[in-house]
Amino acid sequence: MRNVVVTGLGFASCLGLNQSEVVSRLKESRHGIQRYEPFLKRECGVRVGAPIPGFDTTAEDPEDWVYPEGLKLRLDVLRGLPPHGVYGFYALSQALEDAGLARDQVNDPRTGLYTASAGSPSRMYYNLDRMIRFGPQRCSPLGIVASIAGTLTFNLAAAYKIKGSTSGFVSACASSGHALGAARDEIALGRQDRILVVGAEDFSVETILPFVSMRVLSPSDDPDTASRPFDRDRDGFVGTGGAVAMILEAEEIAEARGTTPYTRFSGWGQASDGFHVAASHPDGDGLARAMQNALDATAIEPGAVGYINAHATSTPVGDISELRAIKRVFGAHQTPAVSSTKALTGHALSLSSIMESAFCNLAMRHGFLPGSAHISHLDFEAEGVDIVHESVSRRVETMMSNSSGFGGANVVLVFQQPG
Amino acid sequence: MKTTANETELRDALKRCPPQTIEAAVAYRQNKDWELVPTIVLGIIERFVEPEVRPTVRENNDSTRLFEDLGIDSLLMVEIIMLVEETLDISIENEELRGLRTLGDIKSYLDCKIRGLPLPQKQKSLGFEEIAAVMPQQHPFLFLQESRLNHDYAEGSYRINGDEAFLEGHFKDNPIFPASIMLEALGQLAVLFLLRGQNEMLQEQVDPGRIFFFGCDGVRCHRVCRPGDFLHLKVKLKKVHPPLAFFEGSIQCNGERVAFAEEIALTFATTAPAAVDEKIHGSNGTHLP
Repeated sequence: MRNVVVTGLGFASCLGLNQSEVVSRLKESRHGIQRYEPFLKRECGVRVGAPIPGFDTTAEDPEDWVYPEGLKLRLDVLRGLPPHGVYGFYALSQALEDAGLARDQVNDPRTGLYTASAGSPSRMYYNLDRMIRFGPQRCSPLGIVASIAGTLTFNLAAAYKIKGSTSGFVSACASSGHALGAARDEIALGRQDRILVVGAEDFSVETILPFVSMRVLSPSDDPDTASRPFDRDRDGFVGTGGAVAMILEAEEIAEARGTTPYTRFSGWGQASDGFHVAASHPDGDGLARAMQNALDATAIEPGAVGYINAHATSTPVGDISELRAIKRVFGAHQTPAVSSTKALTGHALSLSSIMESAFCNLAMRHGFLPGSAHISHLDFEAEGVDIVHESVSRRVETMMSNSSGFGGANVVLVFQQPG
Repeated sequence: MKTTANETELRDALKRCPPQTIEAAVAYRQNKDWELVPTIVLGIIERFVEPEVRPTVRENNDSTRLFEDLGIDSLLMVEIIMLVEETLDISIENEELRGLRTLGDIKSYLDCKIRGLPLPQKQKSLGFEEIAAVMPQQHPFLFLQESRLNHDYAEGSYRINGDEAFLEGHFKDNPIFPASIMLEALGQLAVLFLLRGQNEMLQEQVDPGRIFFFGCDGVRCHRVCRPGDFLHLKVKLKKVHPPLAFFEGSIQCNGERVAFAEEIALTFATTAPAAVDEKIHGSNGTHLP
């Protein structure tokens, strides 16, 4: 089995559009959450969100969307894109530049593309609404490719002329973790030399507000404390979207072209709760087994893990499950440092796993641990878990990134300092 | 009130089109003046294509090709047609769209459609492989890369690659496409018309092995063509008197006249047993049936 390394990162996130900004905001615990007008207008009890700076995709017509000037999109591409497709193009172009990959390397049949997104509820609604009101003949011919789950794969694969494996992953908030894990295995098995992995999610009324009726969004009016995983008084998650792209390559290929990887992506584990369609297992059973599977797959001792980027979304129930799972695998008072960067970003759904894995990669390269911000009163369940409140300078050898999705899917990814 | 609401909706639908298109569309809704249609349609096309090809649309050249010159693929065509339908309040069948390859095709199609005239005869497009499959001439002496056959004329094109063997000597260090080969290219397009065209003057299947040059008249060349030039060829059927068929031919490049032939005559034989070519080419035993 070949080693797999991370050689490029690209961000279109609420913490910024370039690495240095993301790094400094992680170090300084500066969140990306604000009172968000389109939510306020609905008067639905949800007031804050974490939009992506430099993008405004609220208009019905994609040709009215605002995105960074450097991003060049052909009109016929733009008309077939959902909001998260625009973020995805931005993040991928940044990641390819970061990895120093030329066009012919991207077009090589040994280069693939895996994506994670839930499709686009806003484009789906817009297009179906037009179909019902004006008839199927009046639908945009690109309505389907802009709307359905898979839109990110179709659009990026065609525009970047990808000739290797292409696929999309849909497991709600574990999606981009599955995309990363599957991409890693494809390279480790020698089937591909390089896979571009992109996770993305619309930030829109249509994507975030359906969570209102599940009673899982924070009703807070204060952007500075709304998202506070592991705090005793947490009251739900804050929605965000965006895109993160990560370039995975076989270590020997990356070495041969003289790049310095961020990390070695050592392996991963997954397991399911077998419990509930939406809620996590109260004791974090599936997540605990996923962490154990990840340790087994990478032959890493629990004591060697230096940091866990927790899934913790700031919901009352979910955070407790995860704390229990961590204690079960590592033992109370023996856990690695743990934090949830969702305090700064909110919950990015399909995007969250790859975004947080990318944060781990930045933290490994820059020698720090991002803090778990906004905790005033630590939840009593966190007793015996080493929660880092503020970011600290610390070089660790091994990091873990946890993610859990609907249906009880759990994915745990392990990154280590490059060899 | 209703008109105002409709006009607002129309202006909104056309908001990314040039101003003259919007005004023409508003006026058309009231007076149904079909002379406004080209302005409306060109403006809608301009709105959908990439910014860098918009000047080409504005040139309003009938021979501008939708796909090759403007990048309009079948999905983009659907978007254009939807807005045209909405603006002109007409309905266009998918079947009718096939065969529309140039701005001129679209304009004449819509002109007929709106004025209630019979639709232009659907043309038949042939790609290089299809052409090569039916033509007696073959590489390296086939000067036709794609072609469109209409009722009484055919259009085709040939791009001078620069690697044609004869350019090495015509002329040395100064490659110019020979006028005789231009005439040959027109002749080949006429051959293709005889083989694949559908015209009531050609009742029987023409034998590809028995079409030959007979004569030409009134040939004029206006400019030289070099490697990289794109030749737009056109032959128009004038009359058929078996075993002869008479065409008029012309070549353009970048909208400029290149060559013109008042008359190109070919002899042909049909696949039905006949002795026509014996009369013309009496002693040529290899072509006897």
